Amino acid sequence: MLVTARLRPPDRVVEVADVRRVADLLVRLEVLPGAVLVIREGALLTSQDELRDGDQVEVRFAISGGSGGLKPRPPVNGGG
Amino acid sequence: MAMRCKRCRGQAVMEVRRHNAAFCRDCFFHYVGQQVTRAIAKYRMLGHTDRVLVAVSGGKDSLALWDLLLGLGYQADGLYLSLGIGAYSERSKGVCEEFAAARGARLLVHDLAAEHGYTIPEAAGGTGRSSCGVCGLSKRYVFNKAALDGGYDVVCTGHNLDDEAAVLFANTLRWETGAMARQFPVLEATRPGLVKKVKPLYRVAERETAAYCVLKGIDYVVEECPLVAGNTQMRHKETLNQMEEAAPGTKHSFLFGYLERAAGLLKVADDAELTECARCGMTTQAPEDPAAEAVCAFCRSKARLVKTLPVVKVTSG
Repeated sequence: MLVTARLRPPDRVVEVADVRRVADLLVRLEVLPGAVLVIREGALLTSQDELRDGDQVEVRFAISGGSGGLKPRPPVNGGG
Repeated sequence: MAMRCKRCRGQAVMEVRRHNAAFCRDCFFHYVGQQVTRAIAKYRMLGHTDRVLVAVSGGKDSLALWDLLLGLGYQADGLYLSLGIGAYSERSKGVCEEFAAARGARLLVHDLAAEHGYTIPEAAGGTGRSSCGVCGLSKRYVFNKAALDGGYDVVCTGHNLDDEAAVLFANTLRWETGAMARQFPVLEATRPGLVKKVKPLYRVAERETAAYCVLKGIDYVVEECPLVAGNTQMRHKETLNQMEEAAPGTKHSFLFGYLERAAGLLKVADDAELTECARCGMTTQAPEDPAAEAVCAFCRSKARLVKTLPVVKVTSG
C-alpha cells in the first residue's frame, strides 16, 4: 500500500506507505488537517475517506503562509 | 466510514470542524453563500444598486468573493493591482483576467510601477517598511483612489476569518487599541475622499474559501507570494492554527467575541483625526503638531523611494 502525496506550496512529492485513511496520511506528513485540503482526481477528500494503493493525492496548504508539515527529516518512505 | 452531509445526509466532501459539520458539494455552496449573505445583511455592507469594486489578487479569497458576489446578483467589478513581483505578478494577473473573461465581468487593471514609479521588491527596504507593509499601504491607497475615480460606492476585500483573527491577535498582543477599534467588517466612508470598505468573507475560514474554489473549478494562484516568508501575520496564523486544532472554534470565538462584546468598548480609542494630504489630496491622519504639513503615509513612502531608486519613467497617475 503506497500513496504518493504532492504537497504544495512549496511543491514537493513524497511517498507514504501503509496509510488507510486521509487522517492517517496527514498524521504521517505532520500536517494539521485544518490547514490543508486533500484532493484526489479533482475531488476533495475528508479526513475519514479511505485511500487506495497507488493513490496520487494533492495535499494543498489552504492557509496563506501556513505551509507546514514535513519538518526537516528523511522522507516518509516505505514502512512496515 | 465516509462522512455524511449535515444538511442532506449525502456523502460529504468538506468538513467544517468549528461547526461540528460536514457538507456535500451543493450544501457547502449553500453554507458559504449563507455566511456571506449573513455578513452583508448584519453590517449593511452592500445594496443591489451599489457599484461594487472587488479587490482581486488572483488568490483563493478574492476570487471566491468575486464569484460569490456575482452569484448573489451584485454589480461587482474587479480591480487588480500589479505589484511588479516578477512571474508571480504575471501569473496572478493572468488568473484574474481569465476569471473575468469567463464570466463576462469587468476587470480594472492598475500597475504600481507604471502609475507610481516603483515595484514592491524595489520598495522593500527603500521605504523603511517591510515588503508586506509597503504592499498593504500601496494597495489601500490604490484601491481607495481607483474606487473614487471610478465612482464606486464600496470596495470589497477578501479578508477572511483567519486573516481577521490573526490581525486581532497581533493587535491584542501589542494592545494596539486604536488599530483594534478600526478592525471591523465595515469601514464607513466617514468623509469625502474615503470609499466604504467591507469584508464579506469575515465569517468564512480560509480553508473554506480554498475548498469553494476547488469545488467551483476556480483556477487560483496556489503559490505563496515569494516575499511573504517570515511575515509576522503568518507566524500568528500558525499559532492560531495549533490552538484551533486542539479546540475547534477558537478563532471563531476569538473574533466574534471581540466584534460582539469588545469592539464597541474600544470605539473611544479610535481618536485619529483625519485631514487632507497636502501632496495628493487623499484623506490621511492629521499630524500631532498642527503646524506640520499633513502628508499621507503613501506619499511619504513614495518620497523616500524616489531618493533611493534610479529614475523610472512614470506613464500615468
